[in-house]
Amino acid sequence: MANHETKTLMEREKEFSASYRWQHWIRAFSIVALTFTGFYIADPFITAEPNAEPTNFLQAYMRGWHEIIGWILVAVFFFKAYLFLFTRNHRGELESLKDLTNIQVWKQQIGYYLLIEKHPKLKGIYNPIQFAAYAGFYLMLIGIIVTGLILYVHTTHVGLGAMLYEPMRALEVMMGGLANVREIHHILMWGIIIFVVGHIYMAVYNAVFGKDGAMDAVFSGMKWKHEDH
Amino acid sequence: MNESSLLQRFSERINALKKLPKIQENKSIPELLEEKGFSRRDFMKWASAMTAVLSLPATFAPTVAEAAEVADRLPIIWLHMAECTGCSESLLRTTYPTIDSLIFDYISLEYHETIMAAVGWQAEHNLEHAIEKYKGRYILMVEGGIPTGEHGGYLTIGPHGQTGLKTAQKASEDAAAIFAIGTCSAFGGIQAAAPNPTGSVPLSEVTHKPVINVPGCPPSEKNIVGTLLHYILYGTLPALDAYNRPKWAYGLRIHDLCERRGRFDAGEFVEAFGDSYAMDGYCLYKVGCKGPYTFNNCSRERFNDHTSWPIQAGHGCIGCSEPDFWDTMGPYEEPLADRLYETVFGGLGADATADKIGMGVLTAVGIGIAAHAAISSIKNPKE
Ligand code: HEM
Ligand code: SF4
Ligand code: SF4
Repeated sequence: MANHETKTLMEREKEFSASYRWQHWIRAFSIVALTFTGFYIADPFITAEPNAEPTNFLQAYMRGWHEIIGWILVAVFFFKAYLFLFTRNHRGELESLKDLTNIQVWKQQIGYYLLIEKHPKLKGIYNPIQFAAYAGFYLMLIGIIVTGLILYVHTTHVGLGAMLYEPMRALEVMMGGLANVREIHHILMWGIIIFVVGHIYMAVYNAVFGKDGAMDAVFSGMKWKHEDH
Repeated sequence: MNESSLLQRFSERINALKKLPKIQENKSIPELLEEKGFSRRDFMKWASAMTAVLSLPATFAPTVAEAAEVADRLPIIWLHMAECTGCSESLLRTTYPTIDSLIFDYISLEYHETIMAAVGWQAEHNLEHAIEKYKGRYILMVEGGIPTGEHGGYLTIGPHGQTGLKTAQKASEDAAAIFAIGTCSAFGGIQAAAPNPTGSVPLSEVTHKPVINVPGCPPSEKNIVGTLLHYILYGTLPALDAYNRPKWAYGLRIHDLCERRGRFDAGEFVEAFGDSYAMDGYCLYKVGCKGPYTFNNCSRERFNDHTSWPIQAGHGCIGCSEPDFWDTMGPYEEPLADRLYETVFGGLGADATADKIGMGVLTAVGIGIAAHAAISSIKNPKE
């Protein structure tokens, strides 16, 4: 613990790079749009404007946007995986793995959220609960992307749809048929919705109580660093 | 393969079959059809339709007709396992005798429990005899799932009380080709639905030989006869999809060629059976159509000589040609998102759908968050 004079001194430090922030927000907006169009695909709750001409394409538009934004999500996912695994200025994320295996940090972190302990000192940028939640989120993302692609190859039989057709069908068999694939896709959507709600709460919570501006960081990139950390 | 070499190959195959003795030394297939009142013209029309079903060029119609004529050179053994005989019925009990049903009636006589005359010891003997006599040459068609529970004891057939499991395995051993007719035989079907008390499994799980699946509950007569004609023409097994179904029949979803697809894309749905949208022929998705998850050619070939099919008649597809359709496609008259989960909690959650469970968990999370936030604002977290 540093002395009292320096306690209030804070330093601005770069937490998230521009590419990190862009992928975060593109992904966030894709998830919102995919959830909306997804609910519509599952059970079309909007009745198309009656029209005597055969020019209505409501489902086709919804499905089309779902697929287009779905592909954006896939692209952003690969980009994020690249940032996480191969770039030097995102080492902080990988560093968090060290905290993940430390029982003491886990205990202290849980204690912090139960309001009975101080926040542990972390080596990386994510605390272990956060890291585990993110890992779960990425697994769900992979699941929803894979099931989404299986559904996709049956809507488009040319281009990428044709290239992916055979491997996706093999996965379809493993999941017990297309109806199950849809159901898994749908359930994973719920998993992601619940993650998002928890994620937003924790982000706000830490912005309010953590006072280090991690919430600002995902907008501006900068975070306030306590000298004593 | 280009058209002329394919035609060449078919002709060679047909000529080779022609040299084989007929199984029954009575009428030929053309004579039989004539006797039943079908003109040559009717027969050629039928052959052209079959040519289209098999995705062959229209010029192949005469060859397909020839192939149908030599169908009586192929001995066929048809076994009944755990099933309702609906597949045989769909083929044979058409409103009026069709060419499909007549040909089938005529050629399948080697062994078919529903239509053969023999019973008891005689029937048993016929089966053994046929397997022995046509070893390596006969086509085996199996209808029904294979119960494996209690060592197959849930299904015993004949005077020896032999299990269906054993009969199916034995008959598969020396078959030239094996077709699993209907969803039960292809995927286990309704008796394999959870909790599957008899341990019914698809035919392909009890034999190591390749099995061609021709699912459907029942499969259309075109798909059954088409599979046979395909084998006569090519002499090899057809190109198969991921579930060993012939691609010419099961390559696309019902949804892909559905006559109501325009309504689907337009977002125009029947909201309840009998509403004005139903009368206008809107898409049946919201009243439970499972066409988007089902691979079959009903939307193209229909049933009963192209007369009609479920969606034309106003009810959604129930996904009958997919594995475990009884478990994965329900509820049949609501979209898949309303699937019910067998939840515990003493039946409390018995009508839980993914959306209800999702909303429940979300509410719980919301309450948790509110409580945590409230407590934290009173008793701040430690710095
Ligand atoms: C957060 C991400 C996503 C969410 C929340 C989501 C949600 C949904 C939902 C709820 C459905 C309807 C399922 C049902 O019938 O119950 C659906 C269908 C579908 N999704 Fe997604 N999805 C996501 C990502 C993707 C991705 C990455 C793809 C890949 C391109 C994709 C492609 C599809 C396709 C092709 C369908 C079926 C459309 C049809 O059969 O007409 N989705 N999605
Ligand atoms: S009725 Fe069924 S198969 Fe036809 S377009 Fe609608 S959902 Fe698809
Ligand atoms: S329309 Fe669907 S349920 Fe009906 S026979 Fe065809 S595949 Fe089976």
